[in-house]
Amino acid sequence: MSRKEWFRLDTAALIFPAIRHHNWNNVFRLSAEMADEVDPDALNRAAADLARRFPTFFVRLRKGFFWYYLEKLEKPAPALRDFAYPLTYMPAKELRKSCIRLFYHENRIAMELFHSVSDGGGASVFFKNLLVRYIFYKYGVVTPPQGDIADIEAKPSPEELEDGFYRFAGPKPMGRNEENSYRMTGTHDDTGFKHLVTGILPTDELIKKSHEYGATVTAFLSGVMAESIMKLQRRRVPEKMQKPVKITIAANLRHIFPTKTMRNFVLAVNPGFDPGYGSYSLEDIVRIISHQLAVDLMPQTMSGRIMTNVAPQRNPVVRLMPRFIKDMAMSMVYFSVGERKGSINISNLGQMTLDESAAAYVKRIEFIIGEQYTYPNNCAVASYGGRTYINLIRNIRETELERIFFSRLVSLGIPVEIETNERE
Amino acid sequence: MYCVKCGVKLQEGTRSCPLCGTPVLLPDDILEDREITYSDLFPKEHNSARYLGLSLATALMGAAALVCFIMCINMYGEIAWSGYAMLGIALGWIWLVFPFWFPHRNPIIFSGVDLVALGGYLLYINCKSGGHWFLSFAFPLVGIVTLLICGVTALYRYVPGGRAFITGGFFILVGGCCILIEFFQHITFGSEMFVWSLYAVTVFAAIGLFFIIAGIIRPLRDFLHRKFFF
Repeated sequence: MSRKEWFRLDTAALIFPAIRHHNWNNVFRLSAEMADEVDPDALNRAAADLARRFPTFFVRLRKGFFWYYLEKLEKPAPALRDFAYPLTYMPAKELRKSCIRLFYHENRIAMELFHSVSDGGGASVFFKNLLVRYIFYKYGVVTPPQGDIADIEAKPSPEELEDGFYRFAGPKPMGRNEENSYRMTGTHDDTGFKHLVTGILPTDELIKKSHEYGATVTAFLSGVMAESIMKLQRRRVPEKMQKPVKITIAANLRHIFPTKTMRNFVLAVNPGFDPGYGSYSLEDIVRIISHQLAVDLMPQTMSGRIMTNVAPQRNPVVRLMPRFIKDMAMSMVYFSVGERKGSINISNLGQMTLDESAAAYVKRIEFIIGEQYTYPNNCAVASYGGRTYINLIRNIRETELERIFFSRLVSLGIPVEIETNERE
Repeated sequence: MYCVKCGVKLQEGTRSCPLCGTPVLLPDDILEDREITYSDLFPKEHNSARYLGLSLATALMGAAALVCFIMCINMYGEIAWSGYAMLGIALGWIWLVFPFWFPHRNPIIFSGVDLVALGGYLLYINCKSGGHWFLSFAFPLVGIVTLLICGVTALYRYVPGGRAFITGGFFILVGGCCILIEFFQHITFGSEMFVWSLYAVTVFAAIGLFFIIAGIIRPLRDFLHRKFFF
């Protein structure tokens, strides 16, 4: 019998098994629309190749006495026909079998991943490799291994498998004190249906407009989102009870620290402002967010925040606690502190690019994150082929935020095309 | 095709704006067979009716126990027969309702809980009826059954493979325990030894050996698996 290969969870991954709740956990999705109908056999062959090259992706979640761990699957589960709505609940029973789902539906290939395996940055590299390998099996087109595309025959480098948090932790931890933010509410959809509204924007116009405001695309979109939430709060909450509007932005630490890790290497920052102090224009909001991001994304600041997360793992008392006690403690801290600091998440994968040889077969790439447990809306952004796809997911029936956000972009002169998974 | 209120461009064939619900004002453009980009396959939904049923069963059993209690107090002014009835209902609840509250039931824990509850009920009957059979007979009997069932369940759950050997060993142990049970029967009720236990040992040992042989001979095991898997 061959020896089972297994991996410790990285620092960011530890939280996700602990905070799983009935009908909710952290799963995200990447999907691509191909030129032709998807061939599931080619997709399965591509997945089998990638299981060798990226061993940390085709794994299942197992329990040890002290920690969870990821056990490598002997072979990837075959791709399934896609469901009617994205990010259907991935129950514990399924995670014990596989933390990754591969789907196909007509021209679309989709991948859903439990967050303990990797973050959006790592998963996007994996997904691009999956597409390239699929294209090889389906069309016989070879894409040269450069940039994010890995040499499929090579062995994974130790850097790809490392826990970047351990390597780049600073000397001193940083405090977690932050003000709580405004939380949106709505009529919860008990069916479990994840409502999705996709706004499609021309990337060049979005970049141009962001630069007009002196900001990056992420800061600009966060500004428009913060302004939309501010308007929403004004309608619902009396003036004296207004709370800060903060956007939780997932910062890809690979842009700050030099690593090629395929595991989680992301930290959330929460820039925002307090509308209780007065009226803010979009220019003000974008400026505030840009400046806060500039400070938060300094390597020194980040290494301190990394150390805050790594320090408990190095504590021998914490290490010797049974897993279920750690789970309870992490869950309590997360729901009482972690989820209260942001009004909405924005996760921007940025420009997704593929080599010309493969790009001809891929029409569209999208990124979707699930909603949080205690707040109903979330936003994921990815750009591909000159178009930016903004996916707003929600588990409530109201579309007020989506309407304010997208119509604001239209009023700024950026044309927005809307798609949805709603049945009429 | 644009929404007149939000200004966003809509998918061809959309009947109303997904953001604000404003109807599209060009009915001629509505395509009956518009392309739907999402799959029509829905995942299995969670069954909340189960919890309603369990709550109802709990309420009914609780009401039945309460009725027994009130009747008994009215008739005798103390807990007489209602003690048996109430604890019987509680035992039924622990066996039939309690495990189903949990989405993931660990059979080792619940079989242990069920047998401990049974032991407690027998202890109550023993004390209430002034019997002297609990410590020397009921307790060891329930203890043996608990150990055997929990042990074999744990082995089934956590030992990969070797099912035939586990089952064979279980039957042989059950046979061995029959002698013990007859011994407890002998010291409690004064009955003769080796009246029935040797027959039971023989039968259980034969079944156990069959399973062990099936474990050793792979084609036989595969055949049994093929025919009797569940």
